[in-house]
Formats: sequence, structure tokens, C-alpha cells
Amino acid sequence: MKTLKRIIFWWKIAFLFLFRSMRSTAILSLMLMTAVAALLFLSALAVGVNDAMIRNSVSLYAGHITGFDIPGNIQKETLKASGVITVLKRTNVSGSLIFGRKIHELTITEVEPHAELTYTAIGRKVVAGTYPSETRGQLLIGWSIARKLGAQLQDTIYFTDLAGKYKIPLRITGLYRTGIDQLDSEIAFCSSGSLPSPGHNWTAAIFLEEGVSPDKIISTYDRRFHNQFQFKSWATLMPDLKQLIDLNYVSMSIVILLVFLVVSLGIACAFVIVILKTIREYGILKAMGVTSRENALLIVCEIILMNLFATMLGILLGVALSLLVMETGIDLTAFTSHNRYFAVSGVIYPRLTPFAWGVPPAMAFLFSLLAAVWPAILVSHRRAAEILRLV
Amino acid sequence: MQALSGVSLRVEKGGNLTLVGKSGSGKTTLMNCIGGIERPDTGSVLIDGSPIQSLTERALCMFQRRHIGFVFQRGNLLSFLTAAENIALPLHLNDADSKTINRRVAELLNLIGLPDIGPAMPHELSGGELQRVAVARALAHQPSLLLADEPTANLDSDTGIGIMQIMITLCRSQGCTMIMATHDLELIALADRSIRLRDGMTVTYTD
Repeated sequence: MKTLKRIIFWWKIAFLFLFRSMRSTAILSLMLMTAVAALLFLSALAVGVNDAMIRNSVSLYAGHITGFDIPGNIQKETLKASGVITVLKRTNVSGSLIFGRKIHELTITEVEPHAELTYTAIGRKVVAGTYPSETRGQLLIGWSIARKLGAQLQDTIYFTDLAGKYKIPLRITGLYRTGIDQLDSEIAFCSSGSLPSPGHNWTAAIFLEEGVSPDKIISTYDRRFHNQFQFKSWATLMPDLKQLIDLNYVSMSIVILLVFLVVSLGIACAFVIVILKTIREYGILKAMGVTSRENALLIVCEIILMNLFATMLGILLGVALSLLVMETGIDLTAFTSHNRYFAVSGVIYPRLTPFAWGVPPAMAFLFSLLAAVWPAILVSHRRAAEILRLV
Repeated sequence: MQALSGVSLRVEKGGNLTLVGKSGSGKTTLMNCIGGIERPDTGSVLIDGSPIQSLTERALCMFQRRHIGFVFQRGNLLSFLTAAENIALPLHLNDADSKTINRRVAELLNLIGLPDIGPAMPHELSGGELQRVAVARALAHQPSLLLADEPTANLDSDTGIGIMQIMITLCRSQGCTMIMATHDLELIALADRSIRLRDGMTVTYTD
């Protein structure tokens, strides 16, 4: 009880020191407050960059989850689950496009045009002509394929499957360009029913709500279909994107660490200056019988309180800045136009997550405690007479 | 260079001793050794029969907290505490309850003739007021020993005598032993005994 009373007493003294030395406290806090606000915003921005890369990658074509080889008798509605926005049904047929004497091997994907236009961004990548309508026999191909084959809009081109079972005419109604080689030169699109593919298994592109975990939905499907079909998330199908996102988090964490190392050194230096200015008072306390441990506790309490005050203000400022920018986003198209992970949009929307909220303040607290070590040692190790002789 | 050499003295409980000497004569060093804030290289300091130089740091701090009060020449008060809070500090360090603290602080403020000065911050007080509050703080916890190191050096003579009289009165009323360092002849006359120091050595005793 006595120990608790004493600890409370020193917290009160620390509070009075900070409150009544408002100018010093404000100046010391400014550095920490700015660091917390800046890093909170930067963390939110880093999350926003990751979100943009994921959003661009999945919304362009693939979706958050891809379901493979789903039998024709399974309806797409059976894949609906909580957190799933939509399921797009696609049938892939590999074969060759023939135009004159030129041949190009690819996979034609039969799609539901209206749904594809609503939920994917391929439609926005059409550079000539139009996306196929519900009418059968219309074909959308990559601009580079058309150039290779020497074909143009409205030309009739023939598609033959790998087995050579059929050769059907398709009319080129649109050309597209995404900048992603795999999409531009290995795939073409036509509306459902354009190809004679009865009984073909189909591929599902599943789109999720923001924040829903693909792994959670895959677990739901595995239980529902008893692991009959294969579902893979974007992270599995695009390991390079996953690595980039992880790299972004690691880089951000290193930036936060380095910034707070510098800031904590700054705080320690500033606190040492404040303590040297008032060191006589610590000498008086020692002469009154205050132990070295209590003096050190006082300094730690002062720094913790200052940290709490500055961190709170920093969080408010950082959140306000993030919310301000969250609405309109930051347009980085000029820096992302040639980047495959920003094929749809270069606008970044900062997002506040536990990482953004928690890591900067936690690091601020940790490094503030480190910053307290030097001043605490400075006061603790000097004898009262030594201190009183100094000033 | 030895700050003190061969100094040996005895002060009776409740007595009043003045250490006299020029700057550099060893008055402050002797006061610091007596008060435990400096450890002598040789010799011993006994307070109520207890040898304080052999105490551990923690035990010494507890001893100082309970039995010793210091008044320095300047800068005695904590700048971020009010006069009342400064006076209350030793009582808090001795785990007094808030009722006792409030009563004692009010009593001391009256005794030093500054009943309304409790809420004032140190920078709002004059030199004389500062030293009176410092005396009140040094005696708040009713120590056995009051050590005053040139407490009136920065004050005019009338104020200085006033401070000295307050210290003597309070010490006598509490049975507290007082040792004061000064080079002011008028203050020496008010003390029961004085010891003159020169170059760290005792030169004369005067009763």
C-alpha cells in the first residue's frame, strides 16, 4: 500500500513538473507528436498502396479467389457466401486463332459480358471497338495479338480447339491492352455460348468485400464442397504481388523503427538539456533523502506522461490527416502508369488499420522509455554534493 | 588538496552551532559530510550515536529523509511546486497522511509569518520569502538536525537576521540541533557556539 502510495506520489510530481513547465513540455512534445502523426499517416498510406495493388490486380480480371474445374452442373449461385460480392462464370478453351496464314495459340474465355463489365476492369482497357455484347460470335482480343496476326476490327478470325474438333468463325469487335503480357497475349474473350463447349468445366472468379479474408472464404468452400474443387486466393496465384505487399510492410516497419530511433535520441538529448538546466533541483531532492531509484522513477514518469500527451495529439493529427485524404485519395497515376500492379487506377486511398493505429504509438512509447535511460543515469549516478557544486 | 583535515567537533542535542570561515575554508564540505550528502575519506559522523557513513545508500536516504533538514544558500525550492507543495514535500517522503500534511503546512506558514503565500510559485517570491519557505520545508518533518549552508548570503542584513531568528525559534521549539555555516558576524553573535575553520582545519572554538 505504501509503495503504491509512493508511486502515485511520484506520478503526481511528474505531472506537476510537465504541466507547470508548459513551454518545455510543449516543445519536447512537438517532436514526438509530429513523428507519431507523420508515421501514422505514412502507415495508412502504405496500407493504401497495398490495397491499391491488390484492388488493381484482382479487379482487373482475376478476382480475389479463383475456383478451378468446377463441373457444369454446379451453379455459380452455390458459391455465394457472406463476404462474397459476386461470382463470375468463365469457361476456358485452349486452341489457336487463325487469320490468313498466321496462327496464334491462346485460351479463349467465354464470359457473361454484362457481369464482367460490372465487376472487372477489362472493359476499361478496350483501346478500339467495344467489349463483346451478349450476342454470340463476338471476340475481344489483345492489341498485340491483332498486330501479330495482321487483323483489324470487324475482321472475321477463326478459332480451332487443341484437338482440332472444330473451327468456328468469330468477329473481332474490340481490341484491348492492359500492359500485362499474360493477359494481353494469352487470353481473348467472347460471350457465353460462342464456342461449342458442352459439358466443359468452368472457372469461377470470386470477388470479395473489402477486408474479407480470402482464406476464410476458401475454408468455407472446402467445407461446403468437401474439398472436391480447387480454390486459390490471389496471394497464391500472384506470389510476386504477395511478396511486394510483404516487402511494403517490412519497409514501412523499418522506416518507423529508424524514425523513432532518431526521434528518441532527440528526445533524450532534449530531456538531458532540460534536466541539466534543472539539475540543482534533483540535487536538492537527493539531499532531502530521495533515492536514486526514486529520482530515476520521476524522470521515467515525466517521459511517459509527456509521451502519452504527445502520442494522443499525434494520433489525432495523423487520423485527421488520413481521413482528409481518404475521401479523395492521392492520385499517383504519373508514377504508376507503367506498373502492372496499378493497371486499373493509380489513386491511393490511405486506410487506417491496427498496424497504422498501433505501431507508431507503440514504437513511440518504447523508444521514449529508452530515451529516459540516459537522463535517469545522469541524475542517479551523481551524488547530491556533486550536483549542488555544479550550479 | 584536502578540503578538511583533523576536524573534530561535538554538538549537543538541541544545540546551535555556527561554522565560520572564509570561502574555501571547508565549511560546506563539513556540512555536507555531517548531512551525509558527501562521504568523508576517513573519520566518522555520528548522529544520535549512529555512524551514518557506514549506512547503505538506501538506509542513508531514509535517515536523511527522517532526521535531517537542509537549507542552502540559494535555489532551495523546486520551481514547479508551490510554496505549500514545497513545504509538504518532506512530509510526503515520510508517508504522512494528507490531513497531517495540510495541518503542518498551515502551521509552518504561520510560524514563518507568511500565512497566505501557500499557492505562490517560487518565482513569485522575494529572496527573503524564498528562504523562509526553505526553512519551513527543512523543518516540516521535525528533523533531529538542521543544516543551513550560508542561508542568508544573498539577503540584506535585516532579512538575514530575521531568517536566523526564525530558524533558532523553530529549532528550539522542536528540540532540533542546528548547524549553520556563515561568514556574517552579526549572525555569529546569535549562535550558542561557533567554530572557525581555516584551510579545512579547526582554528578556534567560541562559546
